[in-house]
Amino acid sequence: MWLCELITGNRKTYGMNLIGGVRRDITAEQYPKILEVVGKIEAQLKELVNAIAGDTTLHLRLKNVGVLPREAARQLCPVGPTARGSGVAIDSRVNHPYAAYPETPPKVITKPEGDVWARTLVRLEETFESIRVVKQALEQMLPGEIMAEVKEIPPWQEGISYVEAPRGEAIHYVLTGPDNRPYRWRVRAPTYTNLQSIPTMLKGNFIADAPIIIGSIDPCFSCTERLEVVDTKAKKIRVYSQNELREMSKKR
Amino acid sequence: MLGSKLKEALICFKNLRVTLPYPAQSAPPAEGFRGRLEIDIDKCIGCGACAIACPPRLINIVDLDTKRTFEFALGKCTYCARCAEICPEQAITMSREFELATENKSDLNITMELTMVKCQECGTAFTTQRIRDKLMAVLPEKIEIEPAALDWLKLCPDCRRLQEVHKLTEAGT
Repeated sequence: MWLCELITGNRKTYGMNLIGGVRRDITAEQYPKILEVVGKIEAQLKELVNAIAGDTTLHLRLKNVGVLPREAARQLCPVGPTARGSGVAIDSRVNHPYAAYPETPPKVITKPEGDVWARTLVRLEETFESIRVVKQALEQMLPGEIMAEVKEIPPWQEGISYVEAPRGEAIHYVLTGPDNRPYRWRVRAPTYTNLQSIPTMLKGNFIADAPIIIGSIDPCFSCTERLEVVDTKAKKIRVYSQNELREMSKKR
Repeated sequence: MLGSKLKEALICFKNLRVTLPYPAQSAPPAEGFRGRLEIDIDKCIGCGACAIACPPRLINIVDLDTKRTFEFALGKCTYCARCAEICPEQAITMSREFELATENKSDLNITMELTMVKCQECGTAFTTQRIRDKLMAVLPEKIEIEPAALDWLKLCPDCRRLQEVHKLTEAGT
């Protein structure tokens, strides 16, 4: 977060991307600082991986728990590490390269087991891969303009983009409106698709394992805080509100 | 097995405490940090460019009689600094202040009033005093105009149009 603050000027709301480019360039003084922080993370992560690799307590707790077999993963369409942990090699940075990814392709890491341990390993190894990509990108980056001049944004035009976020492929849809402003904006966050595979993962496991199984997809509930129930027989759709869900959770 | 536990313990012992003793010891933000925005009321001319640029539309402008009121609802500000970038007078700057916790969101609001000028003909307030003063001062420097043409700036856009139409019709007849 300190690094984010240094590069963008804020810890969370970066405000970096604009139509036409980005707002701040990486300065010469920032290069060594980025490399220093990234190097420190890499060293600490290596220590951690080294320590937990032979930890049998962890293995007992995580291996063969919350299994999502490859076939089920194909049917339920999870994205990101949830899919890659079940041996489905999908990554939009590699499948549909965007931005600078054609020049700095990351390696797609997959594990065939589909259990919580496999998803954990995928995430850990991907962190190393991301560090490598950051270093490579810093090395290869050329100086130049960071913004193209955009005077007017035409209204009623649609745009769709996909980005490989840490949790998987995130899709944003925008419909432009008058006054250079968006009229409609819809996000399909990765948790939305990843959450569909939770029932399969939970089946046949202990209740004590439920928290780590749900945690293993790294869910973002603010991205998915709505529930739609489809009654296939009556062909009816119902959306439950927050209050209804709260009442339901209180009842036994 | 035991080796792993020892390694894990070692990581914890090596790092011990990583959190800073924050409120006791100040933690200044990085250079270029965008904190709470500050407005230099002496510099602002009241053009309203910031209100147009603000993505979540937190800057509200109300014209009432001879007062133009700017309301900055900063409780929802995301510190993107678009207003500071667009301001032609550099009246808005982003401070390094980030300790803005409050029980009442409206504590963060900023309200600012600027005086407006009335049209000489019809008497409606149409722009701020400062915009007109600036135009009066800047226009003769930038372009060649007769001093009499500056009287135009004392009229609202509607009256200017009417006056021009009258001039043209009189010239025609």
